[in-house]
Amino acid sequence: MAGSRTLSVETLRVRHLSKRFGRIAALQDVSFSVHAGEVLGIIGPNGAGKTTLLECLAGTLASDAGSVDGGDGSALNSAGRLAKLFYLPDAISPWPSQTVRWALQFAAGFLRGRADEMDDIIRDLDLSAILDQRIGTLSKGQRKRSVLAIGLLAPQPILVSDEPFDGLDLRQTRDVGAALRRRAAAGRTLVLSIHQIEDAARVCDRFVLLSGGRVCGEGTVDELAARAGDARARDLAEVFLALT
Amino acid sequence: MRSHSPARWLVIKEWRELLASRAWWVMVLAAGPIVGVAFTNAVATYADISADPGCGIVCSPLLGIWAPTFSAYEIVAIFLLPFVAIRSLTGDRQSGALTLELQRSFPVAGRVGIKGMVVLGGWMIAFAAGAVAVALWASYGGGIAAPELVVVAIGHIMNAALTIAVALAIAAMTDHPSTAAIVTLAITIGTWMIDFAAAVYGGLWERLATYTPSAFISMFQHGLVRVNVVLIAVVIACAAIAIAAAWIRPGVPARRRAIETAGFAMAAAVAVILCAAIPGSWDASETRINSFAERDEEALAHIAQPIQIEVHLAPQDPRRTAFERGPLAKLRRVRPVDVSFVSRTATGLYEQADKGYGEIRGRVGQRTGTTRAITDEALVEMLLQVAGVTPAAEMETPYRGRPLAVHAAGAPALFFFIWPVAGAGMWLWSSRRQS
Repeated sequence: MAGSRTLSVETLRVRHLSKRFGRIAALQDVSFSVHAGEVLGIIGPNGAGKTTLLECLAGTLASDAGSVDGGDGSALNSAGRLAKLFYLPDAISPWPSQTVRWALQFAAGFLRGRADEMDDIIRDLDLSAILDQRIGTLSKGQRKRSVLAIGLLAPQPILVSDEPFDGLDLRQTRDVGAALRRRAAAGRTLVLSIHQIEDAARVCDRFVLLSGGRVCGEGTVDELAARAGDARARDLAEVFLALT
Repeated sequence: MRSHSPARWLVIKEWRELLASRAWWVMVLAAGPIVGVAFTNAVATYADISADPGCGIVCSPLLGIWAPTFSAYEIVAIFLLPFVAIRSLTGDRQSGALTLELQRSFPVAGRVGIKGMVVLGGWMIAFAAGAVAVALWASYGGGIAAPELVVVAIGHIMNAALTIAVALAIAAMTDHPSTAAIVTLAITIGTWMIDFAAAVYGGLWERLATYTPSAFISMFQHGLVRVNVVLIAVVIACAAIAIAAAWIRPGVPARRRAIETAGFAMAAAVAVILCAAIPGSWDASETRINSFAERDEEALAHIAQPIQIEVHLAPQDPRRTAFERGPLAKLRRVRPVDVSFVSRTATGLYEQADKGYGEIRGRVGQRTGTTRAITDEALVEMLLQVAGVTPAAEMETPYRGRPLAVHAAGAPALFFFIWPVAGAGMWLWSSRRQS
């Protein structure tokens, strides 16, 4: 499990989000909060609604009901979300004919990103060797790390990333997880959708358990274990199984 | 790292993406040979015509060289350019780049506009083949009347801008590039059907056909600039950009996008109707091919009373088309005129024996006149007679033409070899430079 810091400043509150695709209810009355500087893991099995939730959270997909409130409790409009959140979808390969170096420069320049952190991000995500490679020619893991670098360069205080460890090998997962922890320690808030529970347990401070489009639990492992009625459970997987 | 404005970053990004686009390189490479075929054929035909010492108005570079040569770009605009524009938008959407870029606060319409402008810039590079044709013609000793050449070029550039805007709107509205391509081609075929219906049925179709891309281009290729047609093209392009912006904006329900699209379309329709009523045109042709003789125009303008014309010709009668596009169009440029068409059938085949069929009847005040000829001179003479106006004495020197019987030397080598080889070399160099 990641840190056990006390995180109390609420920077986002998701209230009663719902989304249907025809007859399928992808999200049903989803509510949870995000605290400043934490790594929040949205975990759940395939089809739980994680990606839909992140898209509704970021505003790239219109929700049918509910709202996303800022730290002051007022609902965020699209401009407010743009100022606060940066969303990295899963399985994207942006600007495939451009090099990683150029994509990072573009992210820092056009997005008005954290150019001063670029060298650290390149080092943390081990991108030096592929900087002059075209994004379209990268392996899945290399592409994932490059896209993650773009997200880390983005200026918004909250980074929302869909499956940040998908396609990474064990060592890369560990290194990327450590890099994300360092960003959180520096004050960045991270909301990560992760379907591998072991990865989530290693990186995240708190969790939102999602199953069938519903929130089954929210909190640290201890809090979730208590909610599950099994105080002895210290393993996120056991807690998840108990609650879903 | 360099610091640029967001707009400049987007221009740089779009330009780099265009250079990496195979669709664009194919368009540029294909433009040379297509222009080459059109130019060499035009020069050969012009040489044949020039053999006649009295070729006069027929020996006009506008109709003999520029119209056929630059019509190559009409083909490129129909069959290649839309796909370059579609690729520029759908490529970003499919790769996920658009999702990332849209998270920077920047007007979405401005973003689509920049994309369109960069694609238009790419089109201008393909347009260089036309400039090569102009340079070759000048090197042969061919005459160039700058205003008419500029008008032809502007017409094709405007047509390209319109094509790009519409293609971007369709690309934004559809889920997949192939769907966008099919819809774009369907629209093109739809405009051809309008042209066909106009030729067969006349009436409203004929009015509608004056705003199709082929009619739009034809106007410029004749050295004519009509204010209303230009404004309508601008309105349609702006509406298309607005619609594209409505469909790429993230997080907007489909219903709202549809409502916004309908709103833009209705606003554009109203603007088009208003623009259609705006008079004014400029005949840039050296031969004044779109105008009556100056003295006749002055005399017609002096007629104080309204002019009514009744044309007894069926829609499919070729004389009606010739009369509408010739004398009647010229008269409409000089002054307002109330025109009505009278016929029992669409073809006119069984009306030939009818009393009065084939007549052009003019009315000025209470006086009337009739002619069966569909020439400029016949119409002007009839109207001036009816109005009782006498034109001034002949002032203009008749156009004697610019005959030139030459072989298109150097053109095949330039268009069919040097252009494709140089283009392919630049493509290779560009792709290596970007990597």
